[in-house]
Amino acid sequence: MNTIFSLLRPRILSGINSLRQGNKKNNWARIFMYSALGIVFWIGTFIIFYRVLLYFQSVQDFGNILAMKLLSMIIMTFFTLLLFSNIINCLSHLYLSYDLPLLHSLPVSSKDIFFSKWLISAFDSSWMIVAFSLPIFLSYGLIYKANIIYYVTFLMAMIFMCLMASAIGGILVLFGAIILPAGRIRTILILLGVIMVMILIFILRLTRPEQLVNPDSFASVVLYLNSMRTPNSPLLPTTWITDTIKAALDNETKTCLFNLALTGTFSFMLIFINNIIAKIAYFTGFSKSQTTPRRLFAPLKYKGSNWESLLNFLPRESKAFAVKEIRTFFRDSSQWPQLFLMAALVTIYLYNFSVLPLNNLPIKTIYLQNLFSFLNIGLAASVLSAVSARFVFPAVSMEGEAFWIVQAAPVLTKKFLWIKFFLYYIPLVILAEILVIFSNLFLQVSPFMMVLSTITIFCLVPAVVGLATGLGAIYADFKSENPVQVVTGFGGLLFMILSFSLIAVVIILEAGPVYYIFMTQLRGQSLSLMLMAWIICSFGLALFLCLLAIFYTIHLGGKSLLIK
Amino acid sequence: MIKLQELTKDYGTTLAVNKLNLDVAGGEIYGFIGPNGAGKTTTIRLMGGILAPTSGKIIIGGFDMAKNPVEGKKMIGFVPDRPFLYEKLTGMEFMRFSADLYDVKREIIPQKSKELLVQFALWNWADELIEAYSHGMKQRLIIASALLHDPRILIVDEPMVGLDPEAVHMVKDILKELAANQTTIFISTHTLSIAEDLCHRIGLIHKGTLLAQGTLDELKRIAKLGEARLEEVFLTIIKENTFI
Repeated sequence: MNTIFSLLRPRILSGINSLRQGNKKNNWARIFMYSALGIVFWIGTFIIFYRVLLYFQSVQDFGNILAMKLLSMIIMTFFTLLLFSNIINCLSHLYLSYDLPLLHSLPVSSKDIFFSKWLISAFDSSWMIVAFSLPIFLSYGLIYKANIIYYVTFLMAMIFMCLMASAIGGILVLFGAIILPAGRIRTILILLGVIMVMILIFILRLTRPEQLVNPDSFASVVLYLNSMRTPNSPLLPTTWITDTIKAALDNETKTCLFNLALTGTFSFMLIFINNIIAKIAYFTGFSKSQTTPRRLFAPLKYKGSNWESLLNFLPRESKAFAVKEIRTFFRDSSQWPQLFLMAALVTIYLYNFSVLPLNNLPIKTIYLQNLFSFLNIGLAASVLSAVSARFVFPAVSMEGEAFWIVQAAPVLTKKFLWIKFFLYYIPLVILAEILVIFSNLFLQVSPFMMVLSTITIFCLVPAVVGLATGLGAIYADFKSENPVQVVTGFGGLLFMILSFSLIAVVIILEAGPVYYIFMTQLRGQSLSLMLMAWIICSFGLALFLCLLAIFYTIHLGGKSLLIK
Repeated sequence: MIKLQELTKDYGTTLAVNKLNLDVAGGEIYGFIGPNGAGKTTTIRLMGGILAPTSGKIIIGGFDMAKNPVEGKKMIGFVPDRPFLYEKLTGMEFMRFSADLYDVKREIIPQKSKELLVQFALWNWADELIEAYSHGMKQRLIIASALLHDPRILIVDEPMVGLDPEAVHMVKDILKELAANQTTIFISTHTLSIAEDLCHRIGLIHKGTLLAQGTLDELKRIAKLGEARLEEVFLTIIKENTFI
């Protein structure tokens, strides 16, 4: 046990030291921002669940069934998330961490290394889910007027669930690493996970919830509610956890304790099995992971001119950076699943608009169609923000330790940043315009709304990409083991807040003028001078904000990348 | 070719380089030696334009690195101590990337790249991703790419780390040949035998201050040693904190 504690110490001390060192003022700003956001999210979740459960309570007969079905769905979702997160974390911690060669050279057993790394992985994968499950279960407790035993059992059940998911994750990764080198299983597992998510999204989408607005389909909803009474399989651990919480809510102590004991003993048994397998298989898998995986596609002999010639219009060093960026992006297999996921989201996005029951709506008006189109600008820009957070924000950090090449090269850092900006801006603006134009066609909006949406997106996308590039440079981490994860840090959070704020402000600035233009068009009137001045100012300010977001943040980013 | 004037780098908590003055002539191989944490790598990074000085001047081939870094960098071939590269590019692609950044004539890129890759025993690996290269191969690739644009100044931090004896021998020969062709070479190293074999002049830095510089004979005189190896000179000067 002492060995395991010693192995855990570097992690604990690193955490403490990171709080102690560096710019303390900045640290406090960071802590304050995270806490504030966490509290807002926590309170928001609590309010939503409290209101939903309160509403369920008011529904006769079905209310309780719905609340319990929701509970079992939450547990199932949490368990799936935990499992997926544990697999990814276990892979990184057990096979890909930089400190592993050092640890394996120490006079400690590989079983101890496994267990300490597994504990860290279990904590990393679980703490956030546990933290954000608290408001949900608090709202259940308050609505069902549960006593203290409920809160204790819920916490224990959550801990057991985390341990169980971590142990299953560990076992899966141990087996995977024996069959394949770790560099490849990560890709394959991520791909499988993404395919699973895509299938889920498609299934959910194909159930066509928009049919709910059609009164003729209500009979099927009743049938659906009846099917909800069917209990889950008693062999599933999630059923035991759900039953523990359900029983605690209903004050059924015996059932509660029985299910809790079942969950607890099962999780400890899994940890035990995990350790036995680790003792036999961990070092073999680790040893395999140290070899470089073979390329998935056979290397081509260098030819010099192919798709690269398409970039011949660029200045030489810009083209060199562009070619390098495109190559490294598409050869990095961790990017592929994200691209598939993005393609799935775009398809679903457009599909949603194509199936909107505009003809069945009780309030069928041109006004509503154009309102949807206006809100669609914000929605498309928000989707682009998320995509930028994933791809553009980490782009500078992706240079990693090789950033010295850029610093030593006879190229200005600002130029390097602008190349990054354009490389992402061009595909993203095309994507955003496709989203907006096609969804507008499905909505059959007026030509004015079509032009407005196209121009707004054309201005918003570079602003969002500029923010991501600039802030990504300011908060670049060239030493991160996983540069993609920089977006989960303070800089990424700041980018998301600023990006969503910018989109909201632009939409608000356009909303008033658009309403007046639309209404005067509808009434066949002409705009007054005052109104025109206001419209010009409003649109002008929106454009100014977009330009500011591009140039000022890239300027700041370039400055922060300057040699210090 | 290289002129450092009152060069200072203060990291806030550490004074890494303290009022360093240096002058390296064309075709000269200048060895920069010193114990760990003496300020060698910081000086090299300052000269390569990777760090900015707190005060002082760096003049590379007549260009002030603070005012005209791009022109200065065009003259430099920079080889860092740790071979971090773009792992998802192949060796050949990296050579082409470097050639484009340093504006090497397009028509000579394929031939020159091939020559260098052959010379550094990397030709058979030219189309493999760099992630599959060993530490030594990466180091060789960096040296090869640094020579692609025929730099007038070569700045090398620990050139022999990770290289096998054959490669060490080859790199030594290449450096001597470059110096004979008037390329200025600035080497930082821990390996005193390399400094002894290669360098026309040697500078000894300790705690950010240049303690002594000169030819090996001049250093022996400073250390008041007769027939001695550089190692003894090094230890004596460090111990006595002898100033120029």
